Amino acid sequence: MPRYVMVIDQSRCVGCMACVVACKRENDIALDHYRTRVVEMVKGEFPRLRTEMRSELCNHCASPPCVNICPTGASHKEEDGTVQINRHKCVGCKACITACPYDVRYINEEHGYADKCSFCQHRLKEGKEPACVATCIGRSRMFGDFDDPNSLVSKVLRENSWRVLKPEVGTKPNVYYINQFPRKS
Amino acid sequence: MAFSRRNFLKYAAMSAGGTLIADAPFFSARARAEAEGGNVRYVPTSCEMCFWKCGAIAKVEKDKDGKDVVVKLEGNPLHPQSMGRLCARGQAGIGQLYDPDRLKRPMIRTGKRGDGKYKEVSWDEALTYTADKLKEIIAKNGPESVSMMSHGSPGDYFTNLVKALGSGNIAFASFAQCKGIRDAAWELTFGHKPGSSCERVDLKNSRVIVLLGTHLGENMHNSQTQEFAEAVGNGAKIICVDPRYSTAASKASLWLPIKPGTDTALLLTWINIIISEELHDKAYVEQYTIGFEQLKEAVKQYTPEWCAKETDLPEADIVEAARDLGRYAPHVVIHPGRHAAWYGNDAQRSRAMAILNAILGAWGREGGMWLPANGKFASFNDGYPKYPDPAKPPVIKGDYPFAGGEGLTQVLRDTIITGKPYPIKALFVCGTDMLKALPAPDLTRKAIDNLDLMIAVDIMPSETAMMADVILPECTYLERHDGLFKVEARQAGVGIRQPAIEPLHETKPAWWIASELCKKMGLTEYAVKDSWEARMKRQAAAWGVKYEDVADKGYVTIPGSEKPYITADNQPEFKTTSGKIELFSADLEKHSFDPVPKYEPTEGPEQGMYRLLYGRSPVHTFSRTINDQWLWEIQPENEVWLNKKEAEALGLKDRQLVKLENQDKVTVGPVRVKVTERIRRDCVYMVHGFGHNSPRLKRAHQRGVDDQQLITRYKVDPITGGTGMRVNFVKIIKEA
Amino acid sequence: MELNIVGANAITYPAMHVWDWRVAIYLFLGGLSGGLMTMSAINYLRPKKNFDSSCSWQITLLAPILLSIGLFFLNLDLERKLNAFWFYLAFKPVSPMSWGAWIVLFIYPLMILYALAALPKEVKAGIKNRSLRNASDAMQPHLLKLAKANVIAGILLAIYTGILLSTLVARPLWNSAILPVLFLTSGMSAGAAVMIIVAKTKETKLFFTKVDIWLIVAELIVLLLFFYGHYVGDAAHRQAIMPFFSSSHEFFPYFLSIVVLGVCLPLAIVLKFLEVTGEHTEELTTSGLLLMNASAVLVLIGGAVIRFAVVYAGQLSGYGGYM
Ligand code: SF4
Ligand code: SF4
Ligand code: SF4
Repeated sequence: MPRYVMVIDQSRCVGCMACVVACKRENDIALDHYRTRVVEMVKGEFPRLRTEMRSELCNHCASPPCVNICPTGASHKEEDGTVQINRHKCVGCKACITACPYDVRYINEEHGYADKCSFCQHRLKEGKEPACVATCIGRSRMFGDFDDPNSLVSKVLRENSWRVLKPEVGTKPNVYYINQFPRKS
Repeated sequence: MAFSRRNFLKYAAMSAGGTLIADAPFFSARARAEAEGGNVRYVPTSCEMCFWKCGAIAKVEKDKDGKDVVVKLEGNPLHPQSMGRLCARGQAGIGQLYDPDRLKRPMIRTGKRGDGKYKEVSWDEALTYTADKLKEIIAKNGPESVSMMSHGSPGDYFTNLVKALGSGNIAFASFAQCKGIRDAAWELTFGHKPGSSCERVDLKNSRVIVLLGTHLGENMHNSQTQEFAEAVGNGAKIICVDPRYSTAASKASLWLPIKPGTDTALLLTWINIIISEELHDKAYVEQYTIGFEQLKEAVKQYTPEWCAKETDLPEADIVEAARDLGRYAPHVVIHPGRHAAWYGNDAQRSRAMAILNAILGAWGREGGMWLPANGKFASFNDGYPKYPDPAKPPVIKGDYPFAGGEGLTQVLRDTIITGKPYPIKALFVCGTDMLKALPAPDLTRKAIDNLDLMIAVDIMPSETAMMADVILPECTYLERHDGLFKVEARQAGVGIRQPAIEPLHETKPAWWIASELCKKMGLTEYAVKDSWEARMKRQAAAWGVKYEDVADKGYVTIPGSEKPYITADNQPEFKTTSGKIELFSADLEKHSFDPVPKYEPTEGPEQGMYRLLYGRSPVHTFSRTINDQWLWEIQPENEVWLNKKEAEALGLKDRQLVKLENQDKVTVGPVRVKVTERIRRDCVYMVHGFGHNSPRLKRAHQRGVDDQQLITRYKVDPITGGTGMRVNFVKIIKEA
Repeated sequence: MELNIVGANAITYPAMHVWDWRVAIYLFLGGLSGGLMTMSAINYLRPKKNFDSSCSWQITLLAPILLSIGLFFLNLDLERKLNAFWFYLAFKPVSPMSWGAWIVLFIYPLMILYALAALPKEVKAGIKNRSLRNASDAMQPHLLKLAKANVIAGILLAIYTGILLSTLVARPLWNSAILPVLFLTSGMSAGAAVMIIVAKTKETKLFFTKVDIWLIVAELIVLLLFFYGHYVGDAAHRQAIMPFFSSSHEFFPYFLSIVVLGVCLPLAIVLKFLEVTGEHTEELTTSGLLLMNASAVLVLIGGAVIRFAVVYAGQLSGYGGYM
């Protein structure tokens, strides 16, 4: 089985929001709800400023607190390393939303189930990349099989120093970040 | 998401294994649909959420009533403008298609102009009415009294109509309000525009990239932004000259927060440093340019020390940037920019940029600018007869010797107002919200008042469209044929626009509307013979490409057209008078303009006022997309950027509501202020296109403010007639 | 820092608001009914001086009723109420939510059987339904065993309400092993407080007043430890208790909750101390009664305030954030 991971090169994100809209269209997400977001953090004083761009989504953690807390097994871990939600089983208790340290879950208000990024599992099965990755204008988002030594992501992770978000919570995320800031050459 | 049964079965079948994940390659729409089977279709087309014309692939499914629905748009990997990706607007094209606020049926005005009262009529009635009115006007004032203003694709079809009627009064906002000034300046220098489908900048191979007011990333031109990110990833040195810390500035090694209006001083100083330190590409300059000595003389006066004072930048940074350019030349590029209508002396600034590229040897060099692709397209006009000569010479170039063929919208506007040299009484407005595109909207209103007939061809009920006497609703790009398009990137190729679904409501493609009007005006020989698609097929044959191929793939390349860099047997051709790169322009001298650019200071703000700067957002195209559900959601309104120290002095908090008042006492607001370190203290900034006044645009109506209303003054570039619009100043008024 | 987020969900940004008063009420009533189970059973089990039967049998009924009301509020919070049966089609050993669902299944029978067993003869005589009377008769011999089981079950129930929150590692304020103990002591003291109010005889009232004093003292100590534990914890934990000690008006409710707790609980102790040590006549005076009930109400308020404050403030806490 593959182990799907996403690698995000922060320095290449141009803040264009193509990913955000692509995700909403691909997964038909209601107004004011999002599965992925883009965070822009600017620090410093004029004219000495520095910017961190960071796109965020479900980390498909190897040790997912949302799955642990889910009372019905609706939130579950799949063989391909992704964390998925079985909507039929969801009771809408929202425990998973509070359990997620990354605040990536929300309630689908029409149907009441918890929802979040699926790594576009339906696309993966068609051999396509997740919608946000496929359209990322900066090629900031990369996706692939970590266990395949020849995949782009495993290569990038071998060659770069990377980090994950909030490692102290112990969730073992599968979304990796490289190049927090653009290189100043 | 439509979780169709087909998908479901497939999941079940595949859940056992299947680890492949390299984006499934796209070779053909037909092949992909067959592979996925069932009720899905893929339609390759060209995006029109902006004018970059990215290759897009529309995914079409059937809804439960068996109707076709566009469910997703994706980039076409074969197409050089999209390289498989669509920007946020491209992704959101579906929002425009299914926007409930769209213009749905032809309408004829019943109330007073501007009060929004219309009756819906049939196409025949609308077209007959229009034709009758046009005939009346022509009978009274002559055919030259019919005119058109356009921005975007409907313009081509109506150009045909207006020319066939015998008028040359056609103007596109893309010239005087945007990139025409730059194009003219580069033609004077290199004999070429800096690009047609896209600027020919070789960003991905560049070592040093200078952006002068060009905010790539926010200025979302798909393939170019992709290459910019590539350059960032490659570790190119990016020098960003912008009074505002743009997204591009945040990627830059050097951000030069220049005092607005002094860019030419910086450019000329760089030229001086490069020449005096002999960092220019001597062999290249020798071989390809004329006027180097005059240039050298002319720029001597621009010392770094003087420049630092003039531009309010650290001298060391100015020098460092110039040396970096010299060190890495010719693999460097000064991006020509797009929107150049800034201060009314913009052609000379654009010339300075062109000249800087020239002495660094960037034109035709790897990492500089690639040479125009060498694709031969046979001319094709489907056997239309020649247009009659205009009865009276068109007014659209004014007194500006280097105004381009796209015409000067403001001159057309002035003529409508004054009636001099002759009256213009009918105006087609095609795909442009004139009131938001042209400076001094009061003049635009006055011009509209002077018209006997205004016809709007548009998709959305913009404020301008809702002033028209007849509204002819165009269908969106997802519902019509357009093109074929010449695509001129590194390689030349052919792109296509074809409908993903049938037109919704009672909208029609612009080609059909214009063609029907031709017929009604008795100009059948200029009407489309059969269908536009049939015409496209004939065009493909004339161009020597297989139509079925273009239709199936969305894009085909002209083989062997890619000749990007200068080599011994690939020499550049400069279509200037001298056949060389003209550092010194005799043509300009002939018209008593400075043959080598000179710096002229620009007037600054008074005490308590800020210069009004405006720009783009990556999720909107001017005012056209604000009402799109998916884009509106991300950015429903604009904010005024104000330096933090200034805000403190004014006692303003972030997100507080303020009003803006310009030097002519025009007030807009309320609008939220963004208190930020990201901008100089002497200017404020906002994204252009917001503040819609049309109540029919339910989402966009009165969200944010319209910068154009504050742009009551403009300074005309004497060379090209471009309208410099960054010459307005505003005061910030706290909302009670 | 200038922060700009595109694509945040209102449910989690700028602050999470997933659970509200419904969950706080559930936690309070759950803890209270646990306290009642334990306290009423203790009332049976303690070496009796002057058995106050009326008090205990009413309480045994009150416990399941309060729990049901609590569960009703919890159910109100479910976004897909009709799907609730899924709780019982799965047992997830690592999910305290799942335990909660199952614990209730064991606790209800215990409560009901105990209530049946505890029905006094005179009450039973008034019951028309024969099978109910028979059931009660059948249970009566097991009263003692059931009472013992209820002591344990009540403690478990009260602890459970805290465990649910404490396992949520993403919310540092909740993620504390002291939280279940805090909810336990608070649930027990609330239980004792209700006993005081309901009990008829002075002796019972005094007994639970004494018990309550110790429980409140314990509760206060645990509360202090709770804050102390956060204070000496990592940055996220320290940040998590900030709302309670902030003078910013946006956090005023939390500051207020600390003030209320700081006044209510000690005041209750003082009042109770006065009662216990005071001169008493055979029967309670009206003012004495008032004082006792007042102090009990203070304890109940304190218990509710703790639940509300913890539920709401916990959602403000988190790791990292945008810095
Ligand atoms: S992987 Fe798919 S669902 Fe997840 S953020 Fe990207 S587009 Fe959205
Ligand atoms: S599409 Fe890519 S570059 Fe654009 S905002 Fe998303 S992550 Fe950043
Ligand atoms: S840049 Fe974006 S909006 Fe413009 S044509 Fe390309 S995808 Fe469409």
